[in-house]
Amino acid sequence: MTITPRRAAVICIALVTSASTSAAPGQQRNFVACPIVRDTSTVPCWLAEYEGELYFLTLQTDVSAPVNPPQLGHRVLVEGVVADEPRVCGGIPLKPVVLSVLPELDNSCSTMLPAEDRYNLTFEPPRPPGPSRGRLAFDNPAPPPARPAAEAEALPKSFTLQYDFDSTVAFRHAGALQQIQDAVQKGKATHVDITAYRASSLLSNGKTLLEREDIGRRRAEQLAGLLKDAGLTGVAYQVRWLDAAAPDGGDDAAARRADVVVRRN
Amino acid sequence: MTRHIYGAAAASALLLALAGIARVGAAGPSGWWSPGEGGRLPAYATYANDYGEVGVLNTSGPVDTNGHPFFEPLGGNGRACVSCHQPANGMSLSVASIQERWRVTKGADPIFAPVDGMNCPGLPAGDPKSHSLLLERGLFRVFLPWPPARDDGTPIEPEFTIEVVRDPTGCNTSPRYGLTSPTPTISVYRRPRPVANTKYFTHHGFGVFPFVGKGPLATVRDPETGLPTAMNMMADARVSTLKTQAVSAAQSHLEIAGALDEARLRQIVEFESQVYAAQVRHRTAGSLMEAGGPPGLGVRNLAAGASGVLGNNTTQWVFPVGDVWKKLATPAGASEAQRNRMRESIARGHDVFMFRTFWIRDVQHLNTVGLGNPTKRTCSTCHGMHMTGMDVANGWMDLGVTNLPWAREEPLNPWNERKPQMPLFKITCKASVPPHAFLGRAIYTQDPGRALVTGKCTDVGSIVMQQFRGLAARAPYFANGSAGSLRDLVDFYDRRFNIGYTAQEREDLINFLSVL
Repeated sequence: MTITPRRAAVICIALVTSASTSAAPGQQRNFVACPIVRDTSTVPCWLAEYEGELYFLTLQTDVSAPVNPPQLGHRVLVEGVVADEPRVCGGIPLKPVVLSVLPELDNSCSTMLPAEDRYNLTFEPPRPPGPSRGRLAFDNPAPPPARPAAEAEALPKSFTLQYDFDSTVAFRHAGALQQIQDAVQKGKATHVDITAYRASSLLSNGKTLLEREDIGRRRAEQLAGLLKDAGLTGVAYQVRWLDAAAPDGGDDAAARRADVVVRRN
Repeated sequence: MTRHIYGAAAASALLLALAGIARVGAAGPSGWWSPGEGGRLPAYATYANDYGEVGVLNTSGPVDTNGHPFFEPLGGNGRACVSCHQPANGMSLSVASIQERWRVTKGADPIFAPVDGMNCPGLPAGDPKSHSLLLERGLFRVFLPWPPARDDGTPIEPEFTIEVVRDPTGCNTSPRYGLTSPTPTISVYRRPRPVANTKYFTHHGFGVFPFVGKGPLATVRDPETGLPTAMNMMADARVSTLKTQAVSAAQSHLEIAGALDEARLRQIVEFESQVYAAQVRHRTAGSLMEAGGPPGLGVRNLAAGASGVLGNNTTQWVFPVGDVWKKLATPAGASEAQRNRMRESIARGHDVFMFRTFWIRDVQHLNTVGLGNPTKRTCSTCHGMHMTGMDVANGWMDLGVTNLPWAREEPLNPWNERKPQMPLFKITCKASVPPHAFLGRAIYTQDPGRALVTGKCTDVGSIVMQQFRGLAARAPYFANGSAGSLRDLVDFYDRRFNIGYTAQEREDLINFLSVL
């Protein structure tokens, strides 16, 4: 698989029902559940059930999508806001939503629902080759024009990597890592400061889900290791890890991060 | 004029004689090219196989093999590169050719050298049982140090322990060659890959970035240019350039004393960079090289294709076949009508490859990279590289070829006298590391694949996918030779993903694969 530019899928809802009254728009919904995949005549959609209500998470698009689908065989941590929008695939949409596939296997998460005429998505695929013909989401881009050698990257420069719960660098982070590398090389940086966090999520049932104890250290050391392996050995690394502030049930996902500062002296 | 060298089967030799077609260069009557035979490899030659003919094109013109390091024996065991990368086999090596060489040479051909052409060195010489994996599945022994080490020699701490559960070859428990030997080594058994069409898997185009999301890891760079590589070579991507591959293969497979000098390495790389192989004729569909024919078929179209391109279904199809064979007239002649029906089947098979959706499920490094598990897609989702059907870069994933429960295993029961041929390892991942996404922390595998290079639990069973060109010339398929035919290959996917191909879809897909 390859990394592609982010493009949003175009979704037309052919058949909708009114939004449920059990989840008011704007409410935060944080919960852990087995994901459910529902087939449609085009692409599948992803759902999860919480306290008797079905929520729409996302649909199958591409690795470049802002939200990647979860995985059967694993529970998913859902952190989202109830949207004031019609149901999709029978579920109340959560927007924005952050999905974290929990690393350990859970074979009880295996629900696949068949397509039903009432859940009909007209989907314009953003990433051929795929299940149907459609516009190109991207083409093989021409290489960017070479920058003048004298033009140095302005430093200091800051970067933030967001992580899934209990996870480290994932497939989608390759682009961000390249940006850090570019900043170091083009800016002739002398120092890279990495601060990674271990965070927690306040669930809607009042419980707190805490990341594994060593995840902050693992995130920080992994970033430094990757940059060194990429040849950035001539800079000084300051690597530290911290526990994030207590969760408030809002945008707790934002605390699962690493901050990287590229600087000179 | 196109010249022909016919393939390994005795029937082909008869056809050769009947057709009065001259053999080319110094290759023997069976099409076999022995190390050091000398002669010229033509700019273009064709070789028969069960489906028709494979074509080998040297875009730099005829190759004088006299003294050429690809064709000359380099090490102590008498092998050359060509030993395992035969033009008649699409620059790989078919099990049919291996069996032919056993018959012709009574086991004396250098390909049967004990180092890796035997199930384990030291077994009784001349006994086919000592070479059963090579003779039955086309597998050479690949022996790798354990634990692995980085290129600079520093050891990698594995994320898992490895235990030998089954050792039918005796090599992994051998006090001399195995895990407990003074130089702990793991032996796995793999097919040689085609050394042709190399621009497609050594490109610096789309998908080659400084970092690889799978792993994750920093991309291995070409030690000479400093550029990130596609990391798409060999079953485990343990080497990343044609030159480093040649160095590695000379030391291991050819048992060269010392090192290859720069001049010979350059000659090998130059040859490998200009040789192309693809099917050029189908026994029923006829020529795949006709002017106005499908623009992605045939070896000349392949050589002219753009590398480093992710295929799509709009401008750069994975395999550009076009509509020319979609609906053909029914000519008066029976053979022409049969030809046209086959061409239509091939065109339908392309559409099965490109558009027939199914649920791709539980594939580490595919369903884990953001697509979700399962994902409703097609063959071309993974096999997306324009003209070859590889992944564009970093193409390793765990399809289930070597990991249980999907790997081909011998059915054990009182009525089956055959015993398992492949080794079986138990991998136990440490509690502190991310587990394999779909097999967890205890994995049984015939070949840990890329995990033997990285030491990562998530890489267990991940194998770099192979190109599709010249398939008809080089059965069996998959890294462990577990699919003996194109039908076996399609059946594996059908079973693995519960696709439910119709008989027509299966037949069309096989026909399509046979003309690549």
